[in-house]
Parts: sequence; structure tokens; C-alpha cells
Amino acid sequence: MISSVLLKEWLKLKYFFTGVLVLNIGVCLKIYFEIRGLILSEHPEMIWYEAIHLHNIFFRDIMFFPLATGLILAAAQLVPEISRRRMRISLHLPLHRDLLLVLSVAAGLLFFLIAAGIPAVFIYFTMRAWFPYEVSLTVFTTMGPWVLAGILGYLGGIAVLLEPLKTRKVFLAIVFSVIISVMYTGVGYGWLSPAMPYLAWLAPLFLLCVFSSGHRFQQRGA
Amino acid sequence: MNAIEVHNLSHQYNGRTVYQDLTFTVPQGSICGLLGKNGQGKTTLVNILMGFLKPAAGSCLVLGENSHSLPPDVRRRVGLLHEGHQAYEFMTIAQTERFFRGFYPDWNADIFFSLVKKMGLSHRHRVGNMSCGQRSQVVLGVIMAQNPDLLILDDYSMGLDAGYRRLFLDVLHDFAAMEGKTIFVTSHIVQDLEQLVDTIFFLDQGRITRTGLKEFLTSFKKYVFFSNTGTVPLEDEVIKGFERRRDRFTVYSYQDPDTVTEQLTRQGVEVRDLHRADMTLEDGFIGLMGKY
Repeated sequence: MISSVLLKEWLKLKYFFTGVLVLNIGVCLKIYFEIRGLILSEHPEMIWYEAIHLHNIFFRDIMFFPLATGLILAAAQLVPEISRRRMRISLHLPLHRDLLLVLSVAAGLLFFLIAAGIPAVFIYFTMRAWFPYEVSLTVFTTMGPWVLAGILGYLGGIAVLLEPLKTRKVFLAIVFSVIISVMYTGVGYGWLSPAMPYLAWLAPLFLLCVFSSGHRFQQRGA
Repeated sequence: MNAIEVHNLSHQYNGRTVYQDLTFTVPQGSICGLLGKNGQGKTTLVNILMGFLKPAAGSCLVLGENSHSLPPDVRRRVGLLHEGHQAYEFMTIAQTERFFRGFYPDWNADIFFSLVKKMGLSHRHRVGNMSCGQRSQVVLGVIMAQNPDLLILDDYSMGLDAGYRRLFLDVLHDFAAMEGKTIFVTSHIVQDLEQLVDTIFFLDQGRITRTGLKEFLTSFKKYVFFSNTGTVPLEDEVIKGFERRRDRFTVYSYQDPDTVTEQLTRQGVEVRDLHRADMTLEDGFIGLMGKY
């Protein structure tokens, strides 16, 4: 059963996943060439100064890509299901409905983490090539909130698409937008690092929105 | 034992009462057709039976379990054909088989492939690129390969030409011949049901009436007569329905010809050459429920 659910999610996501992965890697390459160009054309100590003292983030271009990735993957997973009420096929399968949602969301998050994780590693090695280890390592603490925004964007997208009541859809969209906007507050390397453990622990709570919307979706005509 | 039990079911939709105290049972091993005009709530009833809608009041039991909280084990025993032959259009035929196989221990791949083989399509053909008829065969293959105890078919004939409808009926006949299998079907092609069902439920204005097919076709009668007067029959206890084409009138009634003639005359309708005519289930449906 689990392999069947994963097969279905892969079939829905494979083109979109490949698309967003290529897009993310494309942005990473752009960042790589921009940093390389800066290092080669300017005095490297000036670039270091900009990074360490002025907190100029050279990989800022990728900031919204994890969020876009989350939203795209959520839509790619849910739109084929909710359009023409195809979700009923899955809801009739001999599998507990919450387990079905857990497996689907887990599959989506796995693809998201691959699509958002590879660029983080890529950018880390890009920074590692020209910056001190300490600066390179802050790639993860700086990108962490953006990746978390992507996870929340993914969960929010799923919850909003599943929610059958329009007023609740709007409410959920506002709540998720506000929480996501928190991830983009502040400037500089590792700005949200002190708050990240708390934000990361809160994120799974948003799964409850997905279950709640999923339950209403099924009870109101799927 | 009953495959489906509905007790005092009430449901509202956008403030309109769809059912009030609806009660009926579908015995195990029977083949039941649910008939009703458009908008009478046939699909809503199927949705309630399958747990996609929660009724306002009353109870619905499917294979002994509450319909809006069917456990996976019961859902495994129910083959459900969704209106419009819903299928995952992003899957190929082979992927569809591989996907569903994982959920059903009694899955019979031979049945699935024997049904889709009739279309002569490659197993790598995407469901999304199929015609409605071809898709219906894939869906039918999925349902039959599950080997369910109860089949619920919501308007299986929608969008199908005569050939595909006949193919569907052939498969359903074979399924019904197996011991203990129950079919609950809705269709807007009433004449197809005449070849399949043994019991009919008429759903009209929130009320449901159950009758045996043979009993209905025997007791309900179609009479034809000619009349040149402008007076048309009125529906009452004797005259259940009528149709008019120029001077040719068709009336439907449970009564014998003499009673019908007497009632028509009492209504001021000139009756000439009244005789009983052959009646199909579709005629009977129109006679009892009306055209619109």
C-alpha cells in the first residue's frame, strides 16, 4: 500500500519536481557565477568585508525559490486530485484516510527537501570556495528560514486546496502568509538562528491544518 | 442479511430538503437499480452511502458499518464506480494496475488485463489520452479485479455509446451471477437497467418506492387510445401519467382497461380504441415519474 501511494505521488510530481529542481540549480549556477565574477573583478577582501561586516547576502537570489518550490509541489499534488473530484478514488481506497494524507504529505515533503536541500548544499560549496568556513556555514542558518517558509508554503498550499469552505480557505491563506512572512524578516547571515529551533518545532503543528481540512473535504462531498 | 440499510435518512442541500425520513434496504445478492429524474438526489444518495457526505439525520449502513466512517476492511469489499468514470489520468494502464494491486489482497490482474485488452491499447497508454469509453473499461477492470462483494455504480452509462454500455452490462451480468454479490446501480439510460436489475427503487421528491422489476412491469400498464377532443387526462389515483402525440394518447395505470376507460370518461376525455401496449421499463419510468 505504501509503495502504491508513493508511486502515485511520484507520477504526479515527477515533471514538476524535475522542473523546480532544474530551476533551483539554475539559480545556484547564477549565484556561483556572480560570486566568482565578484571575486575575480573586485578585491576579495572587499567582498569579505561586505559579507562579514555589511551582511550582504550574495545568494539572496534564491530566497523565494524554496517557497515557490513548496507551493508548486503542493499544487502539483493536489490539483489532479481535487479537480473533477478525483480525490474520491483515493478516499475510497482501503487505507485509513489520515494515513493516506500522512503518506502523501511525507512524499511531497521528501521531494521538497531534495529540491530545496540540493541548492543549499550547492551554495554552501560555492561559498566554501571563496569564503572562510564560518561564513560558508551560515548558508544553512540563513537559508533555514527560507526552507522552513517553503515547508509552510507546501503545508499551507495543501490545507488551502483541501479546505472546502471558502471563508476558511481565506483564513488559512492569511494565517500561513503571516507565518511565512516571519521567515523573511530581518537581514543578514543567520538572522533568525536564535528563533529557528522554536519555529522548526512549531512547523509540524501546521500538519493539523492539513488533517482538519482533509476531514472537512471528505465530509462535504469530497 | 442486507448489504445496504438506510433508516430515516434526511438530508438538506443549500437549504432544500433532498430527503426526509428515507428508509430502504438492499438485500445481499440483489441487483438494485435506483431510478429518479435529474436532481432527485441519486448521486447525493451514493455520496452518502460512500461516506463523501454526512447526512443531516438518520443512519446508513453499508455491509453493516456506518457509511460515513467505513473502515478500510469494508471499503476493500465495496467496488465503487464514481460518476464520470473517475480515474487517475496521469497514470498509464500498467501504472493503474500496479497502483491498485497494492491495496487489494484478492486482486486479479488477469481480469483487469482481459477487460482492457479489448480496447487494443498498449499498457503504456495514458488514461488521460483515452476516450470516455476506453476509460470506463479501465475503471471497470479496476473494480472487477478487486473482487468486491458490493458494487455501487453511479451512472455507469454516462458518456458511453451503445457498444461500451453493452460491454459494461455483459461484465455486470457475469459478476451478478456469482454467489452473494450485490449491485446497487444508478443510470440515466433506463432501458439498460431493464436488462440487469431485479429490484427497482424509484426516488421522487424525497420519497423512495421499492418494487421488483417483474412485478412492476406486470402490474403497471401502458394503454394507448385515440381522441380528437381537446380535453387531456388528469393524473389521479387511477391515471398515473399520460403522454400525447397529436390524437394518440398513452396513459399509465395500475388498473385494468375498464377502470381506466371509466375514469377517462368521467374526466370528459373521449376514448377511442383503448388497448394495452407493450411497456418497457423506460415507458414505465416516464409514466410513473413524468418527463420533467
